[in-house]
Amino acid sequence: MKTVDRNLVRQATPGRGVLAAAAMLAALAAGPAAAEDAKTIAGTVCVACHGDNGNSVIPMFPKIAGLSEQYIVKQLRDFMSGRRKSDVMGPIVSQLKPEDVAPLAAYYSSQKPTAGEADDKKAVSLGKLIFFDGNEDTGVPACVGCHQPQGAGHSVYPRIGGQHVPYVMQQLKNFATGDRANDPSRYMRVTAKRMSEEEIQSVAEYLVGLGAK
Amino acid sequence: MNKFLTMIIVAAFVAVAASAQTPAWNDIKGEQLIALQTKGDPARGQAAFEPCEGCHRKDASGRTSGAYPRLSGQHGTVLIKQIADIRAGRRINPKMEPYIDDHALTPYEIADIAAYLQGLPISAENGKGPGAGVAAGKQIYDKDCATCHGPGGEGSAAQFYPMVAAQHYRYLLREMEFIRDGDRKNSNPEMVKVIKPYTNSELETVADYLAQLAPPKK
Ligand code: HEC
Ligand code: HEC
Ligand code: HEC
Ligand code: HEC
Repeated sequence: MKTVDRNLVRQATPGRGVLAAAAMLAALAAGPAAAEDAKTIAGTVCVACHGDNGNSVIPMFPKIAGLSEQYIVKQLRDFMSGRRKSDVMGPIVSQLKPEDVAPLAAYYSSQKPTAGEADDKKAVSLGKLIFFDGNEDTGVPACVGCHQPQGAGHSVYPRIGGQHVPYVMQQLKNFATGDRANDPSRYMRVTAKRMSEEEIQSVAEYLVGLGAK
Repeated sequence: MNKFLTMIIVAAFVAVAASAQTPAWNDIKGEQLIALQTKGDPARGQAAFEPCEGCHRKDASGRTSGAYPRLSGQHGTVLIKQIADIRAGRRINPKMEPYIDDHALTPYEIADIAAYLQGLPISAENGKGPGAGVAAGKQIYDKDCATCHGPGGEGSAAQFYPMVAAQHYRYLLREMEFIRDGDRKNSNPEMVKVIKPYTNSELETVADYLAQLAPPKK
């Protein structure tokens, strides 16, 4: 089995990374045995951006370790169908076989997520307020209601605790503008639209420090 | 036993409602009728209530600021009517509306949520008023409000009268003003008539009184 030079892909621009990853998947497309395949795909393709065991070290690439199976399956299918748009993930999932989805989800959901650290410590206290109370004046609901204590998530509500700051901020902005519109019942589009720039940044700084228990 | 009793009362009421005329403020049809006729499942209701917890809190105790009301222990019939009214625009609630519109909930889930919430314990740690108005508020309440909302503020499941005891002070005050001023279009016209003459400061005393009442026994 061929392996990818991780450092090379990490240093590459996203565009070249995508090409390399997509080419890698095309090469793998012949192999059988789902669970083993999933591990191979994870260790050769996904690792380039999502890191070892799904704990990405590049802030624009999400950590996918410990996300629920249900959520990962949904996201991969949404990327495939175009319901969730991404220039980066789009070409990658186009090379995945439908039967790779479930084992990849099972693999990443069983990996242990790591916590990070806030860069802007001052923002954390407002972020904590948003997480536990929301904003009564503007009708932002508390994140803890759906995403659970520690932001650990469950069922359709993804883990957001420990996630990278720039990724969280970008997703919230995408929900607010409707660029990301795959959330069930429009929960996140409505929620993010009500948030100020400062609230978005603060809550992201709070979330990154929430640990794997 | 209470839940069983409530079910019988509701079943009887719905039977009457479906055959005879219902009052305009509570015209039972469409999804309200479906939800009332559905035997709600509290376990499913607990799951369906998750998207609500960000505002109403996990224990459905609401916010002591009064921004979001307590829902725990409220009569299932009242909850169903209010949700149906809000979805239909008869009661305006822009903050909540997108989270409970028909993208988010089916009439069956409304029944489940109502069954779950009505069985939850009522917190006595609600938002209280200043306390100075309690005696004056009691006088007004006993004279003009207790006939419907009950001597202890317990309301009536069969009549769709909300429980008003131990609710957050600011929420009570806001709703009374809305109902008096015609801003809550789903209100009972009898109540509108009764509450019309009262000034804001008089309503403050009533809210003061109701907020400090003990949670009704169930
Ligand atoms: C070239 C970099 C790159 C590679 C390789 C890559 N991803 Fe991604 N992945 C991303 C980016 C960027 C996003 C965020 C997309 C967006 O902006 O919405 C993402 C998002 C995701 C998400 C959604 C995460 C969330 O929290 O919603 C999942 C699941 C995922 N990727 C799985 C995979 C799997 C499985 C593979 C391997 C088959 C893979 N990715 C390969 C860059 C990559
Ligand atoms: C009413 C429920 C609800 C509330 C309240 C809520 N969320 Fe979400 N959130 C969701 C759901 C459902 C998703 C998954 C969307 C999907 O399936 O693509 C999600 C997704 C997200 C994502 C994307 C995660 C990823 O890995 O890509 C972020 C970030 C997020 N929420 C942050 C927040 C923050 C911050 C708050 C509080 C201000 C919040 N959410 C409040 C339901 C909610
Ligand atoms: C964004 C915040 C928010 C969310 C999320 C929310 N609500 Fe509300 N809810 C409110 C507000 C605000 C009021 C009071 C409005 C007013 O002042 O008239 C309210 C009032 C209510 C009432 C009327 C209570 C009464 O005593 O008349 C019910 C019932 C209710 N909500 C149920 C729900 C359910 C069920 C959900 C979830 C499916 C939910 N709410 C989600 C903000 C919210
Ligand atoms: C004829 C019966 C009746 C009388 C008398 C009456 N009410 Fe009501 N009240 C109702 C009904 C019915 C509702 C719910 C209306 C609806 O469905 O929107 C209500 C709603 C309320 C609410 C809002 C509760 C909530 O959870 O949103 C408050 C507060 C209230 N009444 C206080 C009073 C006070 C104070 C008085 C006396 C000045 C009074 N009511 C007299 C029937 C009555």
